[in-house]
Amino acid sequence: MLPYFARRLAQAAVIVAFVAAISFALIHLAPGDPFSAVMDNPNVSESVRQTLRAQYGLDKPLPEQFARYVGSLARGDLGWSFSHDRPVLDVLATALPNTLLLMGVALVGSFSLGILVALIQVARRGSATDHALSGVTLLLFSMPEFWFAILALLAFTYWLPIFPVGGSVDAVMHDYMGLGARIGDRLRHLTLPALTLTVLAAGGVARYQRAALLEVLPADYIRTARLKGLTEREILRRHALRNALLPTISLIGLSFPALLTGAFFIEKIFAWPGMGLAVVSAISSRDYPLVVGGVIIGSIMVTLGSLIADVLYAWADPRIRAH
Amino acid sequence: MPGQIQESALTRIPRPRESAFALGLRRILRAPSSRVALAILATIVLIGLLAPFIAPYDPAAQPDVVALKSLAPSLAHPFGTDPYSRDVLSRVIYGARLSLAIGLLSTLVSLTLGVAYGAIAGYAGGVADAFMMRVLDAFLAIPRLLLLLGILVAWPQLSIGALILFLGLTGWFGLSRIVRGQVLALKHAEFVTAAQALGASRRRILVRHLLPNLISPIVVAATVGVAHVIVLEAGLSYLGIGVPQPLASWGNIIQDGADQVAALWWMSLFPGLFMVLTVMTLNILGEALRDAHDRR
Amino acid sequence: MATMNHVRLLCAVALFAGCVGSESTPGGKPGGTLAISIGGDPDVLIPSLVSTVQAAQMVDLVYDRLADIGDSLNVVGDAGFTPRLADSWTWSPDSLSIAFHINPRAKWHDGQPVRSSDVRFTLQSTRDSTLGTPVAALITNIDSVSTPDSATAVFWFHKRTPQQFYDATYQMPIMPEHIWKGIAPAAWRASEAAKHPIGSGQFRFVRWTPRTAVEVAADSANYRGAPKLARVVWSIAPDFPTALTRFLSGETDFFEVLRPENIPEVMKHPNLRVKTYRSLAYLFAQFNLRDPANHARPHPIFGNRELRRALTMATDRATIVRSVYDTLALPALGPTVRAYPTTDPNIRQIPFDLPRARLILDSLGWRVTRSDGTRSRNGRPLQFTLSVPSTSKVRIRLAVLIQEQLRQAGVKVDIEQLDFRVLVEKERKRAFDAAIGQWNTQPSPGSVRGSWGTPGSHASSGTNYGSYENPVFDAYVDSALASFDPGNARSYFTKAYETIVQDAPAIWLAEPRGIVGYNARVHLAPLRSDAWWAHIPDWWVAAGQNTP
Repeated sequence: MLPYFARRLAQAAVIVAFVAAISFALIHLAPGDPFSAVMDNPNVSESVRQTLRAQYGLDKPLPEQFARYVGSLARGDLGWSFSHDRPVLDVLATALPNTLLLMGVALVGSFSLGILVALIQVARRGSATDHALSGVTLLLFSMPEFWFAILALLAFTYWLPIFPVGGSVDAVMHDYMGLGARIGDRLRHLTLPALTLTVLAAGGVARYQRAALLEVLPADYIRTARLKGLTEREILRRHALRNALLPTISLIGLSFPALLTGAFFIEKIFAWPGMGLAVVSAISSRDYPLVVGGVIIGSIMVTLGSLIADVLYAWADPRIRAH
Repeated sequence: MPGQIQESALTRIPRPRESAFALGLRRILRAPSSRVALAILATIVLIGLLAPFIAPYDPAAQPDVVALKSLAPSLAHPFGTDPYSRDVLSRVIYGARLSLAIGLLSTLVSLTLGVAYGAIAGYAGGVADAFMMRVLDAFLAIPRLLLLLGILVAWPQLSIGALILFLGLTGWFGLSRIVRGQVLALKHAEFVTAAQALGASRRRILVRHLLPNLISPIVVAATVGVAHVIVLEAGLSYLGIGVPQPLASWGNIIQDGADQVAALWWMSLFPGLFMVLTVMTLNILGEALRDAHDRR
Repeated sequence: MATMNHVRLLCAVALFAGCVGSESTPGGKPGGTLAISIGGDPDVLIPSLVSTVQAAQMVDLVYDRLADIGDSLNVVGDAGFTPRLADSWTWSPDSLSIAFHINPRAKWHDGQPVRSSDVRFTLQSTRDSTLGTPVAALITNIDSVSTPDSATAVFWFHKRTPQQFYDATYQMPIMPEHIWKGIAPAAWRASEAAKHPIGSGQFRFVRWTPRTAVEVAADSANYRGAPKLARVVWSIAPDFPTALTRFLSGETDFFEVLRPENIPEVMKHPNLRVKTYRSLAYLFAQFNLRDPANHARPHPIFGNRELRRALTMATDRATIVRSVYDTLALPALGPTVRAYPTTDPNIRQIPFDLPRARLILDSLGWRVTRSDGTRSRNGRPLQFTLSVPSTSKVRIRLAVLIQEQLRQAGVKVDIEQLDFRVLVEKERKRAFDAAIGQWNTQPSPGSVRGSWGTPGSHASSGTNYGSYENPVFDAYVDSALASFDPGNARSYFTKAYETIVQDAPAIWLAEPRGIVGYNARVHLAPLRSDAWWAHIPDWWVAAGQNTP
């Protein structure tokens, strides 16, 4: 196990290094000086400009600039966001926990819901319920996230004013609430965006899980279990599910990019102050360093996600463990 | 006869192009869901192709910005009008044209790049292959939307051509993996060594043996790819960095009505419906194609 | 137990004190929180540098001027002005100086007394070129401020003008010298002091959480007395629809930029109200008369006066305004508003005449050669970029309408949506083609000197972003401002406006009415045309609403 883990970790490190190279290329992709917006901006103090000059070596040849860039990344320095007037790492570090919260809830929720739906579908395969649910999951899977989010926002904050309109806290009152009320406030603001993302992601999970279960069912050991007299439900629970869950673990790793993309749109529409909202707002501000910082952090998240999923898979799959 | 025996030995593994494709298509069309999906998709594509002939109005024309703006659906304007008095039905029709065109063209770019990259990597093998795969892994680690945002922040205004190019440049990673895998498998297959021993040229091997195996993954990737791009382009247009005014794309139309979603519900509903329909049918067909291929 | 009874007693006393200590006003006790919905952060909280309406609201509540203009917005002499930091003033016999006496009870929020040296410091910093305030061009008549003692600040003027008093008071909320003296003006914007403003107003600054909220609280020990509100909170939404929905759902009490199409929606709520008022705002599509790549050269397209006139002629402004604003705006007359007594509503305009516009473009050598109908000359297409802030749906709408109308004339317009601050930066650096701008003008028509006069073009901090420079226009405006006879002033201004209208440095678009939405629980005071927030200290919300 350990050598496998070490190998995967090394792989991940290499990937992140290449991502850094891609980000460097992105920064220098633009026509003109990517930092002119910062350098000419009177809102930016002289000390910040000097820091930038030193850090990026803006007047040095490209290879040296790249070396400096990698060096600063290694130190955790992602540059300066001039639209927020703070270091990029600062901005993203404040925003990232909100995105992780949203994605975490959606991950757990969508997998629970998706697996449940798949189980129902397989238990009644071929029935009208199965077909109806198939239609629903296909619909959710094909739906553009932002459209669904717009509808959800409209439906549950306006037509049926159940939830607050966006944000993560009540801007007016939150600082003055007691601890219990504050937690309640945050939960109320979290519910709708998390629910929206969950339902959207659950569609894909349900489809995948249903296919995996159907593939496993004809297997020999299932037939043996049937001959032994176990009920369909017990078969599903004890044998089929466990084996069909194995590819689901890798699905967890694979679903990070889609979850992150979905979170971006959800955050924009619900004004959820996560990394997605920060990056999307940075586009119209032409805040390069922030956007590229978002690319790096996002990629690290995805890489870590798939690394964890791979390791979990290796741990769970007895065939690999035996090695 | 000696020549004939050799032929039959060579053709054991991959089947000739035509019958595999026809076989797959027949299998797909057996399921009623696929037939319906194909019919719907074909209709939408036809709508897009014939847009200049079937759209009742010029999609950019603003006939009367005072009296005809923001009208709810009526006989004269079945999908209503937008705040600039432009007919939404015409815009949705032209939107089909533009969104599908963007989807198709960018996917074409992706396919070309994906096949080329994967074939080169698989064929080259060794260190070059390993390096190319690591680069690929890095690109795969960056969510596509994020990569696009990183590119788009550099260019304030994109032409449609540039948008297509960038969408294409960010969508070839998955396919090239598959292509590389196929090329690798082929490299080591017995019959290839046999064929080479018998004097068959590399090109002949590629054409007769590699391509047939790639058709299926490519078609599946294309179908799913177009669906992805349609949703992606709509999302970018919604964020304001996709298709510029006065052109109409489905995402664009939703954006135009985004600040009065309740009051101008027809501007979100109709383009959204078309989008969902197109993507659903593409997904159904893509999955059917994938199943047909896997069952071989 | 003893402690519990003690606590209960305290609670009872507190409740009782709450009941007794309030004023006797109808409909509930004041002391509540006013929540205002806005769609974006303020740019900076330094009075002389403010360029957004959001920031202006906050600054005007935290800082004081020497005297406040009256609701009638009279700018001649000192009629109608009410004392603020200055509790009285004396004119010299020759009117070349005014001595302001500073209210002895006036204090900064950190406890320091307000002194005349603060007034002098404020004037000096407002003029400092390294700070670069947009107001500097407007106070050229003030020579200096002298401080014979700590309670008296004397303004010295170069010459007598009708607006002396206005210049000395309106343009300069007073800033505390002891806080800002030690910071170099070039570093003011990014300084810590800018993030925690200390003023002398009836509200003290509490917090600014970027992208979430700005909060000010009542200064109960204020020299003018405590305001009726306990707190004012600006709830910052990332965009207009979210800000509006927060207002409609009751999360906030006030929304200042309602658009005409939102009014039916608001009227559906029984507890929401709409109020319109005459604002001092006008919108325009401004051309950059200089080449963005090289400021010394004229713009390849907009440098030509006839072409600009043709573009104006090709635009049906009346229809555009009707489409975007319904009846809640009039077509703009020029760089002015009808609220000024010196504005003649019958200024000669460039008429809407599309055929004639096409002829003019033909005669200038711009022929229709391309397949999409765009004109070109010597290989260069008649094409430009129109920049708008992405946050203003109104301006985006105007842009799309203009785009289509100019397409009819063979002009290709590309619309560029930018973050508001990025757009302002581009305009300051003169790095744009055309942009749709809006000025919320000041009570004095003289503010046009800064936005369209030659001094405003030269100064890097000037707001004449299009670099329109016409000495004839400047001369008329200066003559108008120097006239003590209102009839003379009006005729000079008319000549000035007609000059600039015929030069067409911009397409003058709309003069909208101000529309605000408010919850019935808010008790408003009259809305001043130049600053609806001016009387917020007199507003009140029943206590208990949104109160911590």
